[in-house]
Amino acid sequence: MGRRVAFESSCAIAEAAKMANIDVCAAYPITPQTHIVERIAQLIADGELDANYMPVESEHSALSGCLGSSAAGARTFIATAGQGLELMHEVVYVASGMRLPIVMAVCNRALSVPLSIWGDHSDAMAVRDTGWIQIFAENAQQAFDLTLCAFRIAEDPAVLLPTMLHIDGFHLSHVIEPVLLPEQEEVNEFLPRYHHPFVLDPKSPVTMGDFATPALYTEAKVGQDVALRNSLKVILQVFQEFGERFGRDYSPVETYKTEGAEVLLLTMGSFSEVAMEAIDRVRGAGEKVGLVRLRLWRPFPFEQFRQVVNQARLLIVLDRALSFGGPGPVCSEVQAALYHLRQRPQVVGFIGGLGGRDISVEGFQDMVHRGINKAKQGKLGEIEVFDVREQ
Amino acid sequence: MDELVEIRWHGRGGQGAVTSAELLALTAIREGKVAQAFPSFGPERRGAPVIAFNRISKDKPIRARAAIAEPDIVIVLDPGLLGIIDVAHGLKDGGTLVVNSPRELSAVNSEIGGPWRLAVVDATRIARDILKRPIVNTAMLGALVKATGIVNLESLFQPLQERFGRLAESNIKACREAHKETLIMEPTPGAKRPEKVYPVEKWPSWKELNIGFVVTEVGSARGYQTGYWKSEHPVRDNERCIKCGMCALFCPEDCIRQTEEGYFEADDFYCKGCGICARECWTGAVTMVEV
Ligand code: SF4
Ligand code: SF4
Repeated sequence: MGRRVAFESSCAIAEAAKMANIDVCAAYPITPQTHIVERIAQLIADGELDANYMPVESEHSALSGCLGSSAAGARTFIATAGQGLELMHEVVYVASGMRLPIVMAVCNRALSVPLSIWGDHSDAMAVRDTGWIQIFAENAQQAFDLTLCAFRIAEDPAVLLPTMLHIDGFHLSHVIEPVLLPEQEEVNEFLPRYHHPFVLDPKSPVTMGDFATPALYTEAKVGQDVALRNSLKVILQVFQEFGERFGRDYSPVETYKTEGAEVLLLTMGSFSEVAMEAIDRVRGAGEKVGLVRLRLWRPFPFEQFRQVVNQARLLIVLDRALSFGGPGPVCSEVQAALYHLRQRPQVVGFIGGLGGRDISVEGFQDMVHRGINKAKQGKLGEIEVFDVREQ
Repeated sequence: MDELVEIRWHGRGGQGAVTSAELLALTAIREGKVAQAFPSFGPERRGAPVIAFNRISKDKPIRARAAIAEPDIVIVLDPGLLGIIDVAHGLKDGGTLVVNSPRELSAVNSEIGGPWRLAVVDATRIARDILKRPIVNTAMLGALVKATGIVNLESLFQPLQERFGRLAESNIKACREAHKETLIMEPTPGAKRPEKVYPVEKWPSWKELNIGFVVTEVGSARGYQTGYWKSEHPVRDNERCIKCGMCALFCPEDCIRQTEEGYFEADDFYCKGCGICARECWTGAVTMVEV
């Protein structure tokens, strides 16, 4: 029944890719790259993983190469971060349009300028609309577990969509933590080989990535959108099966001490764990405050989200990215999700944790109280950047 | 003029339908009217059917940008299009149809006449005589002006001058000549629309498309009837042909095959009438003849 090891989250993801028995990994080894692909290169070189490692000349080529291997039916994994994901950008759309079940780990980092190698969610938000399933992990164990789930979800015949696993750069990617590893047989059972209905095969040729005139483009894109929306059903099933097999439960929207909470804080990624500490403290002081952790970002889990928040009076949303000139991207998304509800919480948005800036436990306590005050003063639409020096 | 006149041009890639629409809009705007011109964007190639559009109004701003489904005026640059494309589709009752055809007005009327004015001119002959090549767009502008008076004939010449430079003079001449020669027939009361049924393209719903927009039929030029792009086809004089096969070597469609008797014969289904075989045949055995 498995073993307990110390792993950096990056290495936990590499280990999951190994246990998923990937066929192909492509990478361009330069900053910002991660230990994930470094570790996979090592595993292959040491003969621990029988896979094809494609060293390419750029991130754009890395994902392009993955298109080819995935189209040929190979289980394909790739990892990137920040600027690397930006350079891939056009190919990110191609992978989902072609319905290729590539799994990509993204160590979320800030985007230039100023140049920053540190973490925030700017890169993740820039690929929000690319048609990938997008899942956020909060610690090394989740990073491992959800990598396995990502393959299972992506490759499900009812889904066949690329899937991105987001882990916070540095706060998660470079932190060593304990991780429980399952037995290889258990993983094999959870993750059998898959078959794409259309693979590149010289014996029965097909055309992939064809062009569509205005008479067809809408239909092609609607098919893709419906597939992404419908993937939620499979995601729920896979999470449930994972829980039954491995004893760790995941859900598109997770909660912490939300019973009877009047005020909810919403976070994504590793900062959720810091926020839990803060929730413990304010709960200890008798305040009815709980935490909502958005695990699934695309497809957005509207139903699950509404059920979790509709009894609350106030929802405080933290965005780790700026949408220049507009509200934080997560905040505008949840506001849209709530708009048509008769009973809904008020929403206050904060931007924070940009470019690797920490938010401490005290910081989250402060954010909760500032949020409550802002709601009292009716300053709901105001976008506040948390912990910014005004002078 | 009416508040808004909508015009649809039918031609083939290379015949200048898009240029005609542009020149007409330039002319109308010069006359102080409001006008727009735009092509139907797509992967068109020389010889393939193309469409272009105009909207013209006296002074009312034009905001519509969509393709024109119910035009007031339709202009057909290529006589060969009549049989294969529903050029009169959506043409309003009481509208105008301007056709380039070498045939008699009455013959064209029996094919495509309806509750609209019909104007016919042999623009290809005029273009061949004056421009020495079968590019009919400027001649058809003359025919359009004759049939509709949408702009003044004289106003066309400045834009033509600017567009065609040293070729302007002959284009203006072709335009004038077509204006003179165009014959017009008013619709007979109660005239019916042509009965010929054209195949309507059936597009799939999103549910019918393959995952990832994968196309499973193997693409092949074999099923692609480039033959209907042509306005001229090659005719061989066996007296002159020495069966050398040079024409087959140069045919870009690779549609010329040797027959039992040893002659080189173009396949009508694929031959797009480019004329390269006629040019390359060094004994002069091949001539291009209008379809
Ligand atoms: S090139 Fe002319 S002479 Fe030679 S085969 Fe063709 S038609 Fe005949
Ligand atoms: S005109 Fe001659 S060269 Fe051109 S496609 Fe037809 S056969 Fe071939």
